[in-house]
Amino acid sequence: MALTETVTPVWTQRLLHAKREVVLLAAIVLIGGFFAVSSPYFLTLDNLTTTLRNSVDLAVISAGMTLVIISGAIDVSVGGVLAVSAIFIGRGFQWGLPAPVIVLLGLAVGTALGTVNGAVVAKAKVPPIIATLGTMYVFLAVLFLVIGGEWISGLPDTLSPLVSGNLLGLPVPLYLIAGVYGVCYLLLRHHAFGRHLYAIGSNENSARLAGIAVDRVKIQVYALLGFLAATGALIYVARLRNVEVNIGTTIALEAIAAVILGGANIRGGVGSLLGALLGVLFIKMIQNGLVLIGVSSLWETVVIGGLLIVVLTADALKHGGPQRAQ
Amino acid sequence: MALLEMTGIEKHFGGVTALSGVDFEADAGEVMALVGDNGAGKSTLIKTVAGAHQPDRGRIRLQGREVAMRSPQDAWKLGIATIFQELALADKMNVPDNIFLGQELRRTILGIPFLDHKRMRQRTRELLADLEVQIQDLDLTVEAMSGGQRQGIAIARALNLDADLIIMDEPTAALAVAEVRKVLDFILRLRGQNKGVVLISHNIQDVFAVADRVTVMRQGRIEAVRRVAETTPEEVIGLITGAHGVDLSHRSEPGAAGDPADGPDKTAGQARPS
Repeated sequence: MALTETVTPVWTQRLLHAKREVVLLAAIVLIGGFFAVSSPYFLTLDNLTTTLRNSVDLAVISAGMTLVIISGAIDVSVGGVLAVSAIFIGRGFQWGLPAPVIVLLGLAVGTALGTVNGAVVAKAKVPPIIATLGTMYVFLAVLFLVIGGEWISGLPDTLSPLVSGNLLGLPVPLYLIAGVYGVCYLLLRHHAFGRHLYAIGSNENSARLAGIAVDRVKIQVYALLGFLAATGALIYVARLRNVEVNIGTTIALEAIAAVILGGANIRGGVGSLLGALLGVLFIKMIQNGLVLIGVSSLWETVVIGGLLIVVLTADALKHGGPQRAQ
Repeated sequence: MALLEMTGIEKHFGGVTALSGVDFEADAGEVMALVGDNGAGKSTLIKTVAGAHQPDRGRIRLQGREVAMRSPQDAWKLGIATIFQELALADKMNVPDNIFLGQELRRTILGIPFLDHKRMRQRTRELLADLEVQIQDLDLTVEAMSGGQRQGIAIARALNLDADLIIMDEPTAALAVAEVRKVLDFILRLRGQNKGVVLISHNIQDVFAVADRVTVMRQGRIEAVRRVAETTPEEVIGLITGAHGVDLSHRSEPGAAGDPADGPDKTAGQARPS
């Protein structure tokens, strides 16, 4: 009888879901091997630590982006959120505020801007990509209005331990990444908030009918991403000790690329934190490796853009075609 | 006192009148069927009871108490569970996730609420066993499941709510014969537990198999209410299509008096058989 008809066994489903991470890991090993052979410097501890320190802001933001994409939305304005938060952090130093206040101020600004994004998406019913494109332009306008063509530079190294510090023999960035991904994992797997994100991304209408406060969850997930973008701003200021005009211009697309390469479905309902982290590793490794072997960094964007197209096309073919057995 | 009592319900979408002066009731321990052609207003009426639509006019009483539902969550809290035609399942989520969607069980560790996966899985097994729904692995996403399994999951979700009033929108539409029997048995079991069941169906056979009363809707209005024991499938079909010669003069229309919506809308000029 039909109730007991055979369906895809769970291990096949799991393997299919895990496949992207496995492929990505294989690509990292393969391309990493190529760079290691091409440049003797690539596999040195020094280079790997530097790459790690350069990856923290992208890694942190990609975790939040994963949650947003799982909910079926997107945020192209994270660079703007990061920029405006960084301005407040930079100005905070110039005003002579104590460091803890500066940190809280930066995080509060990022969270507030994220909340604005979420409110525009949830309440004004504007498609997320348009809404956040709009807010990004507003945020960038703020950036130009406040700092003009100038840099905020010569900031103190108060925040530097966030990036260059060591704790119990390990770089602080590792703890930051572990902390952010750990909390996001708990939210996603062990908290109702995560279930609601998946439900909204899977079928927003059914989520509403099931009584989930869809608008509130959307605002919360954007606020969380705003908070993480501000964390990225703290890391940025800690690393560079300045705020320049082109701050954050590429980070939104890099984060989206990392999340999609990591196996998230751009239409929502599916996404992997581990995949996103591997995506970040992949992107940062290519950026680092190409520089080391003396290839113009322009090619890095070509490689990542090309891969994105391949992955999205493969997804479209997989989901657009008739359902097939494995 | 009826479990659910709706009086003078009006609902407009732009210039279209979906519901006009609708009175509807369902008792505890009763299966009330709601039938009508496509576009007769059944789904709109049901979404009003489910809290998904707010009526423009009219009253909803539950156990004699007037209620206003602004959201599906409100309806759930009041003990009204609705199983929608589209089943309202999240395709990419697994079985316990779907059954507990929006109603997750939690346990608190160090003051932080965590999902209680173990208890949700255990309860899911119990609910599915009660319904005799066979699902080999609860971790599968529901998009991979048959129509019967999906219906079972949706019903299990309503059962889990321990609702007083359970509304089912075309629960047997996508099912194989053996599964239809199972769902109908389940409806009778709910009635045995003194629950009110509203069954929306196109299938007159199903209606006559389980319903106590049947409400017929036609073009946004209530056409008739009949006791199933005192009517025939032929009469009900006649009422649905309007091709009948039954005297309706005994039917009162409390919502119609002084009703501004009755002017220019499309139902106003409708010829009523008498």
